[in-house]
Amino acid sequence: MKSLGKYISKYLASFLGVVLILLLINGIAFGLTFYGIVTKDYGDVSPQNMSETVAASASMEGISDKASGQLRDHHIWAVYLDMEGNRVWETGAPDGIPERFTVRDVAVFAKGYLADYPVFIRNTDDGMLILGYPRDSYMKLTNNYFSLRSIKTLPFFVMGILAADFAVLFLVYYCSKRKILKNAEPIITSIAALGNGRPASLSMGGELAGIADSVNRASDILSRQNQARANWISGVSHDIRTPLSMIMGYAERIAQEKSAASHIRREAGIIRQQSVRIRELVQDLNLVSRLEYEMQPIHKSPVGLAGLLRSCTAEFLNTGLPDGYSINIEIAPAAETVFFPCDARLISRATGNLVQNSISHNPDGCDITLALDCTGECISLSVSDNGAGLSEEKLKELNDKPHYMESTDDRLDLRHGLGLILVRQIADAHNGVMRIENREQKGCKVILDFPTGPVS
Amino acid sequence: MGNIMDHSYLQNKKLLFVDDEPELLKMVTLILSDEGFGNIATAGSVKEGISAFQKEKPDLAILDVMLPDGDGFSLMQQIRKFSDVPVIFLTAKDEAADRLSGLGLGADDYIAKPFLPQELLFRICAVLRRCYKEDTPLIKLEGCTIDFSRAQVHKAGRILPLTAKEHTLLETLARSDGRIVTVDALCEALWGDNPFGYENSLNAHVRRIREKIETDPSKPVSLITVKGLGYKLNTGK
Repeated sequence: MKSLGKYISKYLASFLGVVLILLLINGIAFGLTFYGIVTKDYGDVSPQNMSETVAASASMEGISDKASGQLRDHHIWAVYLDMEGNRVWETGAPDGIPERFTVRDVAVFAKGYLADYPVFIRNTDDGMLILGYPRDSYMKLTNNYFSLRSIKTLPFFVMGILAADFAVLFLVYYCSKRKILKNAEPIITSIAALGNGRPASLSMGGELAGIADSVNRASDILSRQNQARANWISGVSHDIRTPLSMIMGYAERIAQEKSAASHIRREAGIIRQQSVRIRELVQDLNLVSRLEYEMQPIHKSPVGLAGLLRSCTAEFLNTGLPDGYSINIEIAPAAETVFFPCDARLISRATGNLVQNSISHNPDGCDITLALDCTGECISLSVSDNGAGLSEEKLKELNDKPHYMESTDDRLDLRHGLGLILVRQIADAHNGVMRIENREQKGCKVILDFPTGPVS
Repeated sequence: MGNIMDHSYLQNKKLLFVDDEPELLKMVTLILSDEGFGNIATAGSVKEGISAFQKEKPDLAILDVMLPDGDGFSLMQQIRKFSDVPVIFLTAKDEAADRLSGLGLGADDYIAKPFLPQELLFRICAVLRRCYKEDTPLIKLEGCTIDFSRAQVHKAGRILPLTAKEHTLLETLARSDGRIVTVDALCEALWGDNPFGYENSLNAHVRRIREKIETDPSKPVSLITVKGLGYKLNTGK
């Protein structure tokens, strides 16, 4: 959300930059084109310069030939008046220019036109020179007066209006940015949810309805695919169960058959044992996929974790641990009374998987300890063993690398069992964290930390 | 397998298996007859199940959930209309929802496939034992015999009476047949509550039971403490 705001600001800043550059380019273009015309107007033939030149060479007697030629070249006529307003001489003056001018006449044309010719006057020592430029060559402003006050306040007016303009522009910018962010927020949240593999549902009207529709469709497709994948896994794991029951049943029967040769019974025992492993895999696979796609309902109710751990441990002891293994339980007094809202079946499953992991990874036997501790606002359930432990790389891999179920990397050597990913997912489902570490002495320890409210 | 528990009085109970996989029915029949269950009927569908049920009148029905002409849940509901026979679901459906709907219907157990024969046997026996009390439930221990119907312990020619709590405690342990029963489960059975606050009472009951059943109560051989977990009752077989 913040990034979108930044993006808009950045975009508008660059837009402003472009406007400034455009203004600069305009200035240069103006300089290269219009300025040329203007400088020409203010060049040698400008009324200012021309009247100066002509006045310098004009007197009561007349005008120099050079100045006269110059005037003719530019189709300018000239009239010279004496102090009384009588025409002393003229050159190229059109018809209708009177012989004599009254004070009123002078006052009228001095500011503007004489018989529609734009005229410019210049006072000399003994009279007045009038230069008449061709019609349509110059425009004169006849009422160009402003009060001093208005001239003085003009900069403030201009600045004020500019400031107001900027304020309005900023307000428009601010409001539109807010509006865009407000409208875009649900879209961005939904896309972020999709990015995290969660479903999204948007309902929007107006121009953004199309986008909302697309997001919903994408979410739909994603959910359907996830559903299909989970169903597929669930179906396979379902279909495998009945045949596996029969493999397990007959293998067990052969293994128990007194009349069978000892090697046959031993081999049947191996088939049985491996079938049990397939069973665990199938059960894990199904649950992992259901948790992964959030299809597993989590039935939370307050559970005495101490009792749950005891019953897990008893279950292992009752089923019979293989030779060389032992299982102990350590429950801190503070943890004895803790009731934690959780899905008891899932927590039992996680604990069972961890114990099973310790057994599978230490074929020569080990002592397994289940512990429950309660410190501050956190319940720690741990399963540790005094077995072989893990290498540094393996430990790092288990803690950091995604499991192959979640990764697109098909390198087989990155794969490890489903047991741990299931434990992590169960921890996740209870807002908990799974940590794996090597114990200081020997063996390794898997800790599940669950946050709780303040312990009552 | 036969030494896991004594189920001799349960062996003449009649079982009905309903599953659409004939091979599985064959195997289960084989395994259970190995264990002495000679009275096993089978059916492959809801329809067959109903007629087999009415004909055979079994003592326990073991039903698959997915059947060709319906599901085990509805089969159970139909059976329930005329019988309160205990029901176990044995199914490939292992999802919490299925388990809940099965148990919610009042099934006595829910076993997910695949299963090991001894698991099936244990759970069948557990349900049968719970639903059909032995006529003369005598439990032989090292050095004494417990008569649950009279709540008495017969030890060295003497008859020692059991209190109600002691009876419940011993019965709970005996039902688990040498398996560990956690303090939590025992407190639940005795007081219907979590163990917290009852530990001392539980210890006291255990001490008094040992005085009645053990030859040397300071060195118990029948009622064994499993440190940190609970207790188990070693039967004398």
